[in-house]
Amino acid sequence: MDWVKGTFGTSIGKKQLMAVTGLGFIGFLTGHLLGNLTIYLGPESFNSYAEHLHALGPLVNMAEVGLLLFATVHISTGLLLFYQNYKARPVKYVGKKWAGGRTIFSATMPYTGVLILVFLIIHLKTFHFVDHDNQTISQIASNVFSSVGYVVFYTLSMVVVAFHVKHGFWSAFQTFGANHVKYMPAIFVLSAICAVVAGIGFGFLPVVSRLVL
Amino acid sequence: MQLDSKAPGGPIETKWDRHRQDLKLVNPANKRKFDIIVVGSGLAGASAAASLAELGYNVKCFCIQDSPRRAHSIAAQGGINAAKNYPNDGDSVFRLFYDTVKGGDFRAREANVYRLAMCSNSIIDQCAAQGVPFAREYGGGLANRSFGGAQVSRTFYARGQTGQQLLLGAYSALMRQVSVGKVEMLPRREMLDLVLVNGKSRGIIVRNLITGEMERHAAHAVVLCTGGYGNAYYLSTNAMACNVTAAWRCHKRGALFANPCFTQIHPTCIPVHGTYQSKLTLMSESLRNDGRVWVPKKADDRRKPDQIPESERDYYLERKYPSFGNLVPRDVASRNAKAMCDEGKGVGSTQLAVYLDFAEAIKRDGEDVIRKKYGNLFAMYEKITAENPYKTPMMIYPAIHYAMGGLWVDYNLMSNLEGLFVLGEANFSDHGANRLGASALMQGLADGYFVIPYTMGGYLGGAGLDSVDTNHPAFAEVENECKERVNKLLSIKGSRTVDDIHRELGLCMWDNCGMARNDAGLTKALNTIPKLRDEFWQNITVPGDQGDFNQSLEKAGRVADFLEFSELLAKDALDRRESCGGHFNEAFQTEENEALRDDENCCYAAAWEFTGVGKEPVLHKEPLTFENVHLTQRSYK
Amino acid sequence: MTKKINLTLKVWRQKGAAHKGALETYSAQQISTDMSFLEMLDLVNEDLTLSGKEPIAFDHDCREGICGMCGAMVNGRAHGPEKGTTLCQLHMRHFSDGDTIMIEPWRAMAFKVVKDLVVDRSAFDKIIAAGGYVSVNTGGAPDANNIPVYAEDAELAMDAAQCIGCGACVASCPNASAMLFTSAKVSQLALLPQGKVEADKRVLSMLRCMDELGFGNCSNERECEAECPKEINITNIARMNRGFLKAALFSRHK
Repeated sequence: MDWVKGTFGTSIGKKQLMAVTGLGFIGFLTGHLLGNLTIYLGPESFNSYAEHLHALGPLVNMAEVGLLLFATVHISTGLLLFYQNYKARPVKYVGKKWAGGRTIFSATMPYTGVLILVFLIIHLKTFHFVDHDNQTISQIASNVFSSVGYVVFYTLSMVVVAFHVKHGFWSAFQTFGANHVKYMPAIFVLSAICAVVAGIGFGFLPVVSRLVL
Repeated sequence: MQLDSKAPGGPIETKWDRHRQDLKLVNPANKRKFDIIVVGSGLAGASAAASLAELGYNVKCFCIQDSPRRAHSIAAQGGINAAKNYPNDGDSVFRLFYDTVKGGDFRAREANVYRLAMCSNSIIDQCAAQGVPFAREYGGGLANRSFGGAQVSRTFYARGQTGQQLLLGAYSALMRQVSVGKVEMLPRREMLDLVLVNGKSRGIIVRNLITGEMERHAAHAVVLCTGGYGNAYYLSTNAMACNVTAAWRCHKRGALFANPCFTQIHPTCIPVHGTYQSKLTLMSESLRNDGRVWVPKKADDRRKPDQIPESERDYYLERKYPSFGNLVPRDVASRNAKAMCDEGKGVGSTQLAVYLDFAEAIKRDGEDVIRKKYGNLFAMYEKITAENPYKTPMMIYPAIHYAMGGLWVDYNLMSNLEGLFVLGEANFSDHGANRLGASALMQGLADGYFVIPYTMGGYLGGAGLDSVDTNHPAFAEVENECKERVNKLLSIKGSRTVDDIHRELGLCMWDNCGMARNDAGLTKALNTIPKLRDEFWQNITVPGDQGDFNQSLEKAGRVADFLEFSELLAKDALDRRESCGGHFNEAFQTEENEALRDDENCCYAAAWEFTGVGKEPVLHKEPLTFENVHLTQRSYK
Repeated sequence: MTKKINLTLKVWRQKGAAHKGALETYSAQQISTDMSFLEMLDLVNEDLTLSGKEPIAFDHDCREGICGMCGAMVNGRAHGPEKGTTLCQLHMRHFSDGDTIMIEPWRAMAFKVVKDLVVDRSAFDKIIAAGGYVSVNTGGAPDANNIPVYAEDAELAMDAAQCIGCGACVASCPNASAMLFTSAKVSQLALLPQGKVEADKRVLSMLRCMDELGFGNCSNERECEAECPKEINITNIARMNRGFLKAALFSRHK
């Protein structure tokens, strides 16, 4: 099994693990956002979407296990990369300026990543690991979003997600080597679109919930 | 001492083949019993070290920089010649041989030059196989361009960075041998002396430039690939670390130094801007295809170029050489630029420059065409001078560029000291009194890839060498001498810096032993240099310690050797009673101001034997005979 | 126009790898704006020498931007603020009278400080020794025109091959990664038919060597291509990533 270590243990291998799991999450976000948009149609639609989803039973469980696996890989690899990168320059520069390659999105990847993890834990605690037998999903949402503080936290978290996606999306393509004169400009644009859609799509959900649910 | 070139007789076309047939071989199993030291990792050194290691010898390769990839071969721009005749324009091995001998003003050894031309084609094959990204035609074949001194297109190139790509090719071959353990690479080491045991070269003493430690290294043979001595002039196109030390120490141990006065001046360099200028930057000669060289007619005319009307400009090359105009050879263009400046017509703040004007070419062909041809050179010029050559004329001035002279070697590239081989610019063998463009790369690689692998076997196979290790008393003795010298340099604690003395030496050499020489100037240099040397040994200050990374100390050692070597250079120039190629003595010129050779009396290589610092060296002449070319006088009118 | 300017320098001084370093302040007086940055340092060193102090150690050689020997962080930027320029080709006209200039060595775990601004870049040689070559012995190469190379591939290979191995990519990378350097060589050889034979083995072995030497991981921050004096771009890194994926998953090499 030396080659497995020699593949996924290398710097590129680890980055490609990050890329594949990251793109997986973008896929998940897309589905999650499409489902949640039913909120705009009112509580009935939203509840019915949730019921249909949960009717899939084992498939949902499998997806959950898959997501957990992806999350474990993405987070642990990310932390390892962060640690290694930190260690790669033991003496820091007294004064360092960036030359224009680095963006606020790329520079904050590890931090936005950690913030997303914090959000995720709270999000799962408030929406997933709660009593689903005696209340509908729209009731849960309505309750949670009744707190202004939580709304602010949620909305800010979605800005953080947008930041993470903005760099993560094109970066994943680059990491797989899909940098092509013809397509790279489109990937950059798509990267920005994804970030904005995720940010706005999820970011406005609490406000909409307060208005609709 | 009788100089034996060991060049075989008979027809020139088969000399090398017959010679190789006669050389002794070392059988493959025995090669690993031989250790070889290669000093220097430029084109010659890297290619030699890699090729010898591939054969099975144990190689130690030393370089002064932090990595073998940085040797100054890397800075060669133009290209590399080969007689491939891909463009079908009539090239051949013989034509390349002939052009090289003629370009060298008939002061090179015929047999060596012919072999060089023969090897040229294999070099291109070898480099292409290594993945050197040569320029290509759309069909996938190699592209060629033309270069000075030839009427055929035989120059292969990789943009303006041919030297870099060839060196990186040789470096990759070298690193491959490092990875299989056949080459031990020792960077940041400076060779300080040669160790002879029973008259044979058996090792070297190097200083570890990081720790300052003296190290002894023993071997069965030493291959010196340490480049040229252009930095004797302080300002040159050479890299800062280029030096004569290794070659000079071998000379002091008995190796003959040949033709030191053959130095090449490159006409199109960016002029000196001030006292603290550290080096000169060369721009490709191709600029003279479209640029017109001129100075104001009036001396001390400080007007801006655009304020000087046509009628007050002197396009002196076009005036004096109507048929070749701005495209006269390097030496002629250089000497004329100097003559103009000597008359006070030089331009720029230092008045040591002439204009190279593209206004007419831009008017004729449009800026786009000029940009396509010379865009990168114009950009480089603008980066250094902050002037836009599309709008205002460039300023150029000649600079020392290449050393044709070097340690004397025979046909096997072995010096008169047994077991000491000298390759590349460090030897004197192939370019005579002047080197053609795109031929330096060819020589370095021919020596390293295709000559030394054979001649080394020939030597080792028949030398019957005893085993010698670094405990031999000869090593201790030489190491002590090196240590004493270093300590001496550190103990002077005077009031002048090494650079200061070096600058003074350079100025003296440039003024008296530069482009155009005369007996009075050379005599003056011969008076000045020993005084400067005394001043150096009494009044320099070298900060820091021996046991440390100490760049001041490194520099001091090199300048100390330049101060001894320069005297030999001037002596050789004064001794040669003719002008030829890069050596131009004003007393010997044609009516057209061309170098006037004296083939009757001066058709020899001057090989000097060291007798002591400040003592008269002994001249040994290797007569040069030409059986295959006819000696002619150059004319560019 | 040539001017004379006065500057304050804050220069990193460090006796050796085992010693601690610190910034020291020097003044550089009457600096001609025509000087290169290294000539300015030469001048400061002359003054230090004459006043009995040890001059600032810095690496340099060709001083025409091709050997890759020089390099330092100038005001937080590798090789200073000019694009596509090595330190030796940076001229003082880009600074103003009264400026304070901070000069630090390249900093990375894999580049230990030798002294002051001089660092040990032998890691780059190790990466090349791990596979940055075509395994061809001297002699016996076929005629050069027997290996046709499409002109544009040769141009792309040349773009990558221009790397001078100065280390600015590592120095400027937030993670001190050597991906641009490594990928430039991998790319050059992957683009040429001569290099394709060993492409799989090469990319695996050079990458693993790079990792072992303690460089960081690439996180596509693009600082390397922004600072590279030869303006080598990150499509080379993509090409290496692609080559790695192919070699790791589909080749026989372990």
